[in-house]
Amino acid sequence: MKALDHLPWYRRPGVTIFLFLAPALFFFALYVLAPIPVSFFYSLFKWDGIGQRSFIGLENWKELIGDPVFWKALKNNVTLVVISLATQLPMGIALALLLTSRFRWTKLLKTVYVLPYMMSAVAIGMLWRYIYEPTFGLLNMFLEAIGRYDWILDWLGDPKVVLYSVINAVNWQFIPFYMLLFMAALVGIPLELYEAAKIDGASPWKAFWTITLPLLWPTVTNAAVLSLVGSLKYFDLIHVLSGGGPNHASELMATYMYKRSFHHLRMGYGSTIAVALFTIGFVLSMVFVRVTSRKQYEGGDRR
Amino acid sequence: MLKKATMYLLVISILLGMSLGVFAQEINLTLWHIHTNVGAAQNTIQDAIRRFEADYPNVKIEEVQIINDEYKTKLMIAMGANDEPDIFMSWGGGPLETYINAGKVWDMTDALVKEGLYDNFLPVAMDLASVNGRVYGVPITNMVAALVFYRTDIFENLNLNIPTTYSELLEVMKVLNENNITPFALANANKWTGSMYFMYLVDRVGGPEAFYKAMMRTDGGSFASEAFVKAGEYLQELVRNNAFPRGFQSMDEDLAQSRNLLYTDRAAMYLMGSWAWGTIKAENEPLLEKLDFFVFPGIEGGLGDPSNLVGTPGDNYFSIAEKCEHKDYAVKFLGYLSDEKAADMLIANGHIPPFGENIDAKITDPMMKSLYQAVSGSDAVQLWYDQSLPPELAQVHLDTTQALFGLEMTPEEAAQTMEQAAKRYHGEN
Repeated sequence: MKALDHLPWYRRPGVTIFLFLAPALFFFALYVLAPIPVSFFYSLFKWDGIGQRSFIGLENWKELIGDPVFWKALKNNVTLVVISLATQLPMGIALALLLTSRFRWTKLLKTVYVLPYMMSAVAIGMLWRYIYEPTFGLLNMFLEAIGRYDWILDWLGDPKVVLYSVINAVNWQFIPFYMLLFMAALVGIPLELYEAAKIDGASPWKAFWTITLPLLWPTVTNAAVLSLVGSLKYFDLIHVLSGGGPNHASELMATYMYKRSFHHLRMGYGSTIAVALFTIGFVLSMVFVRVTSRKQYEGGDRR
Repeated sequence: MLKKATMYLLVISILLGMSLGVFAQEINLTLWHIHTNVGAAQNTIQDAIRRFEADYPNVKIEEVQIINDEYKTKLMIAMGANDEPDIFMSWGGGPLETYINAGKVWDMTDALVKEGLYDNFLPVAMDLASVNGRVYGVPITNMVAALVFYRTDIFENLNLNIPTTYSELLEVMKVLNENNITPFALANANKWTGSMYFMYLVDRVGGPEAFYKAMMRTDGGSFASEAFVKAGEYLQELVRNNAFPRGFQSMDEDLAQSRNLLYTDRAAMYLMGSWAWGTIKAENEPLLEKLDFFVFPGIEGGLGDPSNLVGTPGDNYFSIAEKCEHKDYAVKFLGYLSDEKAADMLIANGHIPPFGENIDAKITDPMMKSLYQAVSGSDAVQLWYDQSLPPELAQVHLDTTQALFGLEMTPEEAAQTMEQAAKRYHGEN
């Protein structure tokens, strides 16, 4: 830094960096940081979003703690997190391995598999709505055609089934994303390692566990954080596909927040849910990042 | 010299053109409504826009169509963000009152009188968009009652008679189910669709007073009273007797998932607002020949008169925002939306306009005539609960009713939940 001391203050690197970051920081503060305290402030009020606010202290928070629907939504969110982590990441890795192994159809398949991720959530929602349609839907029509009447379910109307139907559609949407992520990482693994393993007589299976997976691990943990945070604040596909219904069976915290705010016109209570959602998501992802990054460090060699 | 003259001419003509542009400055009015389906009310609105713009070339109406259920949310957000459209549609009642109380809606009473429009509208329909005798919205589309539409051919083939009592209805349902036909085409993801059954059952058990007293919190009225609990029991009896199609709780009325069952001979009855007549006419006109309607059956020993209807004397109300800068033009446009041409078009599309003269004589279609007579001849028309209640309570009603349909709440629980919400809303405990 000494060599830069002769520069006027506005030409020093720190200032330049700040100037370049300033516009992005400004919008980040305005749209991401500022709403957090503001939401907490609103959570202390009874407010319909249009008329007068009236201060009610911690009443909304008391109600939230005793609100069975909120706890159910939280439980559904946890289910979504667990299933997403358990299916999206392994499927993503499997597809990425398949598509980097260069057999004849990889180019075509790559395009086909990425398609769901290119579609907007609303389009995917409508698509799966028609697949799950109880009478004329693709799925039930297919089951009827092959004679499996006992497998026909009320995919979106049965409270015991709906959450899994919806998660299935969510998986369909996001597996391609993780596939792309892992494909990029796989390309970065030097081929010599595999050649050396082959010479040493390692089976492809062994090569996967000892070369591919360890070298992929940083990407896996990053993907897991993305999946975790994404699942906790997930909203759009559920909103289009089931609306959180029937009777809150597939409700998530975000859809519940939306309903309380915009259908019931209870902006104060909606803000309370929003702050709770933020806190839970923030704490969980912090813990997760801490745990996984320590593991990486203990593993010794970081590449 | 000549060159110079042309130059001057050019400059002058450009300046003139610019100033003309300033004088003839365009006025923009935004208009929001829910008529996304081709046909029915959509033509009427678009025709009115065309005629209005032809007469006032300096005004442009920017029409925005938003699908029903999304519309309610979108309008609410726009209101909260002070970004409301100049002219907007609502259903009157509780939700509109929220906006009126927040000072968002223009009191158009004097302007209507001045334009000679005031007496054009049916007074009873106007009430729903009025507060203290001041008018905040005018009814445009439809006088509506929820009626049971049914497939006459299916009823004939199975030798079924129109059920006039609840037990007869159960009998009809039994025969239909035995023949693998779903009794009622219902899509209940929207919740207001299932609410119609509940409202009728409450009326048939306890009469119109049961709801009125509970809503007004007078005479010991309560949402946990016997009428509501009993109605819940009847409703769940219908569910247990397979009155509704597989998956009805997730089906979407806006996507015609209910009517598709009716069109494909899989369902025989359809309890829906009388606008369904216009909708079906636009979607599947040949079916109208095989369609008739009856009024929801009565309940033996119930207090409600079986001719009572649930519905509204005016369906879509058009209001003008307080912040609209050209209210004079907006009112004039409402005149186009409610003139004779508009009335004729609405009738041609199966709507009964709540405005204009000699509507009775204009309706020639026999089915529409009987619809009109049913609606105008009934002693008591119960307004939709979700329009008469404030939005917060309306949602609780819709949610608990959907839970009743899903057999996830007992009638007692649903009634208590609704009553607790009402008590909290009115600050009674």
